[in-house]
Parts: sequence; C-alpha cells; structure tokens
Amino acid sequence: MVSTVDEPSMVFIARHDLKMSAGKLAVQCSHAAVSCTMNARKTHARLVERWRNAGARKICLRADDLATLQRLAGQAQVAGLVTYLVKDAGHTEVPPGTITVLGIGPAPRRAIDALVSELKPY
Amino acid sequence: MGFRSFLHRITAPVLSGERPLGPCKMVCIVNQGLKMGKGKIAAQVGHGAVMATMKAGAEKPLHLEQWLATGQKKVCLKGQDAEHLLALEKQAKAAGISTTIVRDAGHTQIPSGSLTVLALGPATESELERITGELKLL
Repeated sequence: MVSTVDEPSMVFIARHDLKMSAGKLAVQCSHAAVSCTMNARKTHARLVERWRNAGARKICLRADDLATLQRLAGQAQVAGLVTYLVKDAGHTEVPPGTITVLGIGPAPRRAIDALVSELKPY
Repeated sequence: MGFRSFLHRITAPVLSGERPLGPCKMVCIVNQGLKMGKGKIAAQVGHGAVMATMKAGAEKPLHLEQWLATGQKKVCLKGQDAEHLLALEKQAKAAGISTTIVRDAGHTQIPSGSLTVLALGPATESELERITGELKLL
C-alpha cells in the first residue's frame, strides 16, 4: 500500500495578475500538462506511468507575478523536477510571448509540496 | 544531435495512418452544468488534454505529430450539461474524430463520477468546426 503522500502529482502555477478568463486559463494549463507529460516520458517514464495509474493528480495554484513563477521554476529545476514554462502565442487576451503558466511534475507529492506550500489554489 | 538520438531516429518505426488534411487543433468542451471554480476547470481540461494526447499517440500519430509541431492549438468551449457532452461525443465518433471523456474522482467541489470535460482531437480544424461550430468560447 502506497501512502497518498508519495503519489506523484502535477501542479500548474498560473499568473493571477494577467486576469485570464476561465477558458484561457484552462488552455494554458493544458499546454503545460501536455508538454510536461511528453518531456517527462523521456526522462521519468516510470514516474509518469505511476502518476497516470494513480489518477494523474493535477492541481492549479496562483502566483502574483512573473518573478514568482521564474523563482519557482528555478527552484524546481534545482530539485531535479520536470518543469515547463508556457509562453503564449498571444492570439487572444495577452501580448505575444507572455509567460502565463508554470507546470511542474509529475513529481513526488512531497517534493512539490515543499516548493509550493505557500501558494493558494486558483 | 547526439549519437543516440541519431540512432533512434534512423531505427524508429515509420509513422503510418491517415495524414491530416490541414491544420489540427484540440477542442475541450467543459460541462457548465457543474459549478466548478476556475482552477478546477483548468485541472480537468488538463486531464482531458493529456488523455487525448496519449490516445492520439496510439490512434492517430500523424495528427499528433503535426499538432505538437505547430504549437498544440487548443480551444475551450462551453457545453450545457452531461447529456449535451455525450451527444457531441457521439457526433464526433461518427465523424471519425478521437474523443476523450473526463470523469472526476470527486475529491473536491463536485460529486464523484461527474462528467466534467469532453476532449476532441487533435483533428483538423474544418472537421471540428462542423461539430463544435455553434458552441460559445469559455
């Protein structure tokens, strides 16, 4: 029996200052989800399988600005986690090249919690 | 390119199957009958997108490859309720588009087993337009 604390998890950290609509936010997060999964499949294949079998847990948190996103991305990379920064093409709502969402994982839940414990759910 | 990726490339199986006629996109239709928060919707659409991607890898690798290479275009639309989503799924299946249904485990906000999102594609934009053309953007 694996404890729930060890279940792999994926987290999306979205910029709250951009005031994206629900649909825009969802699309940006799913960019992060697909890209993280495809990248992780090359480097962490077994973790990805374990994550998908356990229900592919995903949560969405909010950050206040770009600096927070970049700081967290750096910390996650130092911790050896899969990360992906979504850069929007800017067809709608935000200017081209805007970084909207940071995706981290799939990674052990404990490793993610250690990074993002101070953030609120979106 | 490293030696290993070079070897992988020349020994990889050739992708086969139908070739997409035109640019591809993925459409996620969200069940508006459920009162989900923004973050919840984002996570559910994320589930749908990843599941649809994996499915496409097995069923329509050429569509998937083109979609990933052209910036993985995604659109999020509003669906009325679970019946509406199921009806759209039926239409899409009949048109030969790959479909993915997301049911929530019900840890937060809504009851377990609720149908939250229908993901269609990746498929060509014109194919999807015929089925989802009348739906509003989320």
